[in-house]
Amino acid sequence: MPTNAPITVFKRMDWLLFAVMIALVVVGVCFIYSASYRGPGQPMPAFWRMQLVWFGVGLGLYLVVMAVDYRLICQWATLWYALAILLLLLVLVVGVKVYGARRWLGVGRLGIQPAELAKLALIIGLAYYLFHRTPEQRRRASTVWSGLLLMAMPFVLILVEPDLGSAMTLIPITFGMLFVAGARGKHLVLAALLGLCLTPVAWWHMKKYQRQRLTVFLNPDRDPLGAGWNLNQSLIAVGSGGVTGKGFLQGTQNSLGYLPRTVAPNDFLFSVIAEEKGFVGSAGVVGLYALLLWRGLWIAAHARDRLGMLLATGIVAMLFFHVFVNIGMTIGLMPVTGVPLPLLSYGGSFVLVTMTALGLLQNIWIHRRNY
Amino acid sequence: MILTAPFRDNNPRLHVVGALVGAGLLILLLALFRVQVLHAEMYGSREQSQSLRRIRIPSARGDIVDRHGVVLAENRPRYDAVIYLDQLRGSKRQDIYRVIHSHLALLAQTMNLPVTLTEQEIRAHYLKRRPLPLVVWRDLSPSLAAQFAERAGHLPAVDLVATPVRHYPHGSLAAHVLGFSGQAEQPDDEEADEFYYYQADTAGKQGVEKVCDEYLRGAPGGRTIRVNPSGQTVAETGYKPAERGDRVVLTLDARIQRIVEQALDRAPLPAGAELRAAAVVLDPRTGEVLAMASRPTFDPNLFTPGAPAEQLSWVLRNPASPLLNRAIGARYAPGSIFKPVTLLAGLQHGAVTSADSVLCEGSLHIGNRSFGCWNRRGHGRVDAATALRLSCDVWFYQKGLAIKAETIAKEAGEFGLGQLCGLDLDGEKPGLVPTPAWKRLTLGERWWDGDTAQLSIGQSFLLVTPLQMACLTAALANGGTVWRPFVVQRVVTAENLIVSETKPEARRRISASPSDIEFVRQAMLSVVQATDGTGRAAAVRGIRVAGKTGTAEADLRVHGATQRVKRTWFIAFAPYESPEVALTVLFEEGASGGHTAAPVAGQILAGIFGRTVERVGQEGLHAD
Repeated sequence: MPTNAPITVFKRMDWLLFAVMIALVVVGVCFIYSASYRGPGQPMPAFWRMQLVWFGVGLGLYLVVMAVDYRLICQWATLWYALAILLLLLVLVVGVKVYGARRWLGVGRLGIQPAELAKLALIIGLAYYLFHRTPEQRRRASTVWSGLLLMAMPFVLILVEPDLGSAMTLIPITFGMLFVAGARGKHLVLAALLGLCLTPVAWWHMKKYQRQRLTVFLNPDRDPLGAGWNLNQSLIAVGSGGVTGKGFLQGTQNSLGYLPRTVAPNDFLFSVIAEEKGFVGSAGVVGLYALLLWRGLWIAAHARDRLGMLLATGIVAMLFFHVFVNIGMTIGLMPVTGVPLPLLSYGGSFVLVTMTALGLLQNIWIHRRNY
Repeated sequence: MILTAPFRDNNPRLHVVGALVGAGLLILLLALFRVQVLHAEMYGSREQSQSLRRIRIPSARGDIVDRHGVVLAENRPRYDAVIYLDQLRGSKRQDIYRVIHSHLALLAQTMNLPVTLTEQEIRAHYLKRRPLPLVVWRDLSPSLAAQFAERAGHLPAVDLVATPVRHYPHGSLAAHVLGFSGQAEQPDDEEADEFYYYQADTAGKQGVEKVCDEYLRGAPGGRTIRVNPSGQTVAETGYKPAERGDRVVLTLDARIQRIVEQALDRAPLPAGAELRAAAVVLDPRTGEVLAMASRPTFDPNLFTPGAPAEQLSWVLRNPASPLLNRAIGARYAPGSIFKPVTLLAGLQHGAVTSADSVLCEGSLHIGNRSFGCWNRRGHGRVDAATALRLSCDVWFYQKGLAIKAETIAKEAGEFGLGQLCGLDLDGEKPGLVPTPAWKRLTLGERWWDGDTAQLSIGQSFLLVTPLQMACLTAALANGGTVWRPFVVQRVVTAENLIVSETKPEARRRISASPSDIEFVRQAMLSVVQATDGTGRAAAVRGIRVAGKTGTAEADLRVHGATQRVKRTWFIAFAPYESPEVALTVLFEEGASGGHTAAPVAGQILAGIFGRTVERVGQEGLHAD
């Protein structure tokens, strides 16, 4: 039971999910290329090739995770969770400081962000914990508090890095999984209210730039040349793309540097796509994500057991949150936080995490019911 | 080891999650639709306005030439040494001013010329007009320009730029007709927003430069460039060369203009009199202005940027107003040059016949006042022709009363007095032809017989411009056609295609009969040709000149004191048989028409026809 013959794996896997993933990867690499393009004859930064390398590595992980039964992987949930916490503690001590935040663990020339790994560890940990509760237990308040406690540890550690965006990702994951696991609505609402009460405390502990980002989100024109610059330039990029866009490599907002070159290939990659491919392109990207998330939920609904269902739900919640916050951020719907766009944005750690998560989804599908 | 529990839980909560995810994606789609479809135009223009800059390229003004193609206004290249600030880089943003200063210092050292730019100018240019060259030295002399190219040409970000500037090769010649040009006002419309690098055109401010500005100016060109967030030029996205302005061909004849101006400058003025004068030469067959001059004058080159400021301020502050075109913009009492009008009115309306004679005893009593003739000894018995030849005031007093003021005024009106001539230049004054009704209305006084007497000899309230008198003279010369005078003959493009052409336009034909007009013409001929005529000094060897002298007294208030001056006039046309020129000469302050204005007219006519003036001794001059 633990492993399957490769033939069966390929026969049973969800090819649509795989195709959507590859499509997003291709789009991502193309526009990372465009985002770092600075005009003919200018040196071409190697971001797009680095991203391809990450995908190569990610694809390897994907295959491994797909092949090993998810139930086996989840048996080691405690280990994954402990490992993630350990890395989060480690990054606070020996992490590389970038822009005043310690988020990176240097491994040779490559760096990984433990916060991204923690998302996956939390999903597995929560799924494993909730799976082992009886339906009655799951309806108790204590389960909700335990779940929140599981979330709180990485949440606080990520918050003090600080990385507000990644920390916030843990919330929809936890609530989504608790909800699907059968927690009572009133307990969840109570927990949410408690969280809201803690917000002022969080505000108090926020760095100045974080507060600025939030106030700018509420009023982007307050400081258009300072804190509001990225948001304004992103809005101009997206809006000036119009219906059909300016064409591949033709985005002036990005190539002239109005959309800062440091954020265009990662956090604001969507703005580049929207500028160059217009509403048609951005709706296409949203459509691809819709397909991906629908497959995720489909897989959750057809999982062999509650463990699979919970895992799939957590993954869908994580991906959805990233998509919504990132795209919302480029058009001023959400505050500016460093939440990358799954499979599109440049960045190793989250690519690996996303590929692993998608591998898990495939895994759940391969071991679905009626098997 | 996990046991596979039977799992048939088609969890309804998954549907809730699915609905939430779907709703979230829908919100994103709607928001994207709003930004990219509904507000696309707004964001598109914001994108353009922050990254596109337009640079206006001023056009070169068209030339102004005389009727034979002699260039009166053109452009010459002005060499400016410039520095392009957007080609300089500082290691940090604040550093750029240090880099600029060290660059300028190097430039100053290389050229051994001081840099006079202020810190403020440099900063303002860097912040607002970065893609434009910053002028370090304006209008380098050809030798300095050569030196610059040789010594400094290789320095980075430095260039020698040639800009066309207005140039009047003959200096003050025909200055009042040409006018002058200066920097155009920046248009006050949305074009001139902060993203627009404006480089001013040269705009005509007076004279033909102003009236034909639309043609002369041409069409400005422009460059559209893309700039990055630090204002550095990334690419040129559009270029349209400036179109040179059209060429304006004037009716002026530069040769005649020069003759006229020289004659005015050499006028035999009485001691202490200032040269304030005007002269107009018309072609009586068309109304073309062959020459028009005003004194004092100015050099229009003073108005080009960079000219010596003290000379310009002298022109602007001079109490004699050198900018005033006295030929069209100043009004004077005509005096005796008006007498042909009175005579013609009398002949036309039967109040006078050619044989009518009057005994002039040097003065005439009208009412309880005595009106003197200029010749206190009296002219004896004079008939109509003699009265004009000798300019006998008493004859005109008496006949004027018989003709009546209204009739005289009507005749003056037919010749265009009291109205604008319709010259194609700005600044014309209509003058004034008084009537009893006018006096009642404006002064609230009744019209006395004395007023009529004064009007008949061109005094009273009558005011005319030299141009009006020239048109009147032209009408007498050509037998009765009052032309609309004009200076712009045609406008042609650089390819010599005609853009616009002025056709001679007869404003009216005077109603007097040809024989009456001929009578007046003959009398005017004798003014110059007869040995006792008052206009002897205008006689020219070999051609027959007809004319009329005029001396009008005017009271000027100078520093609170009233000063009586003599406006001295001469009107003439020649050759008598088939007139080719009609002219008016005026001096604001002279001895008399015969002594001051007539000789100048003689000089002008002699010059125009390539003849010499007839020698007339002072004793041979009969004043008026």
